[in-house]
Amino acid sequence: MQRRWYTAGSIIAGLAMLATACTGGTGGGGGGGTTSGEIIIARNQPTSGGDASDGLPAQNGIQFAVESKGTIKGFKLTFKAWDDTVNGTHDPQKGAQNIQEMIADAKILGMVGPNNSNVARAQIPIANRANFAMISAANTNECLTQTFDYCEKDTGSTPAKLRPNGTNNYFRIAAADTFQGPAAADFAVDTLKATKVAVWSDNETFGKGVADKFTAELVKKGGTVVARQDFDTKVTNDWKPFLTDAKNKGAQAVYAGATSGTKICIPRAQMKGILDVPYMVPDGGVNTQCIKDAADNAANMYGTVAAADANQNPDAKATIDAFTKRFPKKEDVGSYTFPAMDCANILIDAIGRAIDANGGKMPTREQVVKAVSETKAFKGTTGTYTFDKNGDPTSPTMAIFQTKGTDWAFVKQFGVGG
Amino acid sequence: MEGAKLAPSRFGGEVVGQLRQARTAFVAAPIGRILSVLVLLMIVYVLFVLLTRIFDRGGGYFLQIMIFGVANGAIYALVALGYTMVYGIIELINFAHGDLFTLGGFISLFLLPIVGADESKAGTAAVILPLIVVFLATMAICGAINVTIERVAYRPLRHAPRVAPLITAIGMSFILEGLMFLWKGPFNLHYPNLLPAASFAIAEATIHLRDIFVIVIAVILMIVLSIFVSRSTLGKAMRATAQDQDATELMGIDINRTIAATFFIGAVLAGAGGTIFGLYYNTVVFDLGFSAGLFAFTAAVFGGIGNIQGAALGGLLIGIIIAFSDGYFESAWTQVVIFGILILVLVFRPTGLLGMRVPEK
Repeated sequence: MQRRWYTAGSIIAGLAMLATACTGGTGGGGGGGTTSGEIIIARNQPTSGGDASDGLPAQNGIQFAVESKGTIKGFKLTFKAWDDTVNGTHDPQKGAQNIQEMIADAKILGMVGPNNSNVARAQIPIANRANFAMISAANTNECLTQTFDYCEKDTGSTPAKLRPNGTNNYFRIAAADTFQGPAAADFAVDTLKATKVAVWSDNETFGKGVADKFTAELVKKGGTVVARQDFDTKVTNDWKPFLTDAKNKGAQAVYAGATSGTKICIPRAQMKGILDVPYMVPDGGVNTQCIKDAADNAANMYGTVAAADANQNPDAKATIDAFTKRFPKKEDVGSYTFPAMDCANILIDAIGRAIDANGGKMPTREQVVKAVSETKAFKGTTGTYTFDKNGDPTSPTMAIFQTKGTDWAFVKQFGVGG
Repeated sequence: MEGAKLAPSRFGGEVVGQLRQARTAFVAAPIGRILSVLVLLMIVYVLFVLLTRIFDRGGGYFLQIMIFGVANGAIYALVALGYTMVYGIIELINFAHGDLFTLGGFISLFLLPIVGADESKAGTAAVILPLIVVFLATMAICGAINVTIERVAYRPLRHAPRVAPLITAIGMSFILEGLMFLWKGPFNLHYPNLLPAASFAIAEATIHLRDIFVIVIAVILMIVLSIFVSRSTLGKAMRATAQDQDATELMGIDINRTIAATFFIGAVLAGAGGTIFGLYYNTVVFDLGFSAGLFAFTAAVFGGIGNIQGAALGGLLIGIIIAFSDGYFESAWTQVVIFGILILVLVFRPTGLLGMRVPEK
């Protein structure tokens, strides 16, 4: 008897799963035709864990874009937020679950996010099967969009594998990590005059990847990595042995491949009294949390950001002022606030064109993906964006910041790639 | 110092006997013997590499790494003492103990501004009195919280199957973490840097007063604990309870009060450990206790669970191993090394380095 109940239970569970899968699928294609009058922009950012110092400012940018637009071609625009944090850090499985929920809601025509490359890797295939458009401001892992021979080995995936239905649904405006690590290495050698550098990473896809690419470029420019460690930052509290090692080997700078969620600037505070040299971080550290963690040793830090600084664009001033009025606190704005805002506006613009293409009716998700891919010279606060066939921006920008007091101050920015 | 152990030196329990038998059987088998030789060769090789590297890098560097390791290990030792005392007396792995350590950091972080200790006074005589007040208050609050936890979550389950209090302990751990998360959020919190920045040089090593501070405070606390357990009436009652609860009760000793006192003392040390951690590393985060607790528990098993000196030694060794692994080898290997050593110790010496002390059955 018990076994029979068990069998019946599993059949029902199986049917339920099948039904969910089907609604997910038809939600993708069958969204067209209905004129519900409401279109939802989904957001997926880590907004509660250690990465919230990156996620919340980005989310504010998206919220601002949707709120200030209000409507698009007669449809009411709203937004709905998902958090991909589990136990304090961004979680790919949670990201996968989030995107399934988004796809199940036919009013959601696309999403802005995620913040972290490993979450994107879990989300893209699910979104791809449903022709669901994703635009990220901050994903920088190159293997999300470009095919390299190491992608399979290092990340367990390739762009083709991530896109099972063969067409691209994933776009980003950030410069890939192929630019970020090398940009930092160039800056170390050319500007900081540091050729002997100690490098550590959090051993994650992003952190280790950017640290490795920093190393490769440094060596190419004639520099040497004097000490290198990959830490499990969940259990590491003490960086002093590593820093002492670096000091004894004559390090002229330290490069950290990590994020705020993986304690990127805690070692900076521990450098005090041991090693007084510049500290360089990738975009995961260019935020207020890093400055707090570095405490009284926050001076002399440099960071790269894989997107342009909106403050350098005179046309963006009115938008920035309006944003600051809406979100006045210092921690409300981060290096990816305006890039995320641009992503939301690109998606809204594409939805507008898709509505036109569908004769003023609610467009299908395929039409939205197609419209995003056809984005040409979109003028955002951080630059002018056109996507290539991989979903990358055709003219990405790298910006470099340095700490001044308790703020990150702009140093310079430059175009990278084609 | 013999008297400071929680139970007399006869190994208690059939568990130990079974472990020994298993070990004997394992070592006696031919494959087991070959494995033992291989493991031994591996250890010899690693030690050889370590020695050459120590020689290459010079004595100053060695001393520097050693100091960091001892300071870090002293903090693990303080936490490990709480695990070992509670296990020694009621055979419960108190998973919430690591979070009490974190809570110590949080509470002292909250108290410091109240008593007027801020960074402008760092390293001056003006912080000494506030620091003493904060230390004592944090230790008392942590102790009170742990006694409450014991009363609410463990005492009602004392005669329940072993797994029940274990699960409530894990539950308590998550509750404490959740409360700290709600209190201060998910971020690394900055802990004021109050210790003097002064340092002096020995060979090529720079020794900071803060390193000395951590080690000295931890050692003082451990000595006080040792004397307390070996000399005081309550300490005697604790040792008696660890040995045989029923007989102790028959002798007219209040078991509940004795066990509560054990939880209180364990948490006092954890609270002090959390405060020292904050002062030394200048950062605390709500989920710090998970990893710190795991390492401290490992230290307790390493030294021989239930054995107070063992926990202190285990903590110290874990700290030194971590520092050596980071300073001379690959940090990515640190955990492999620590838990590899733990497994080896348990296979070849199941009772830990100094022998375990658990209630007799």
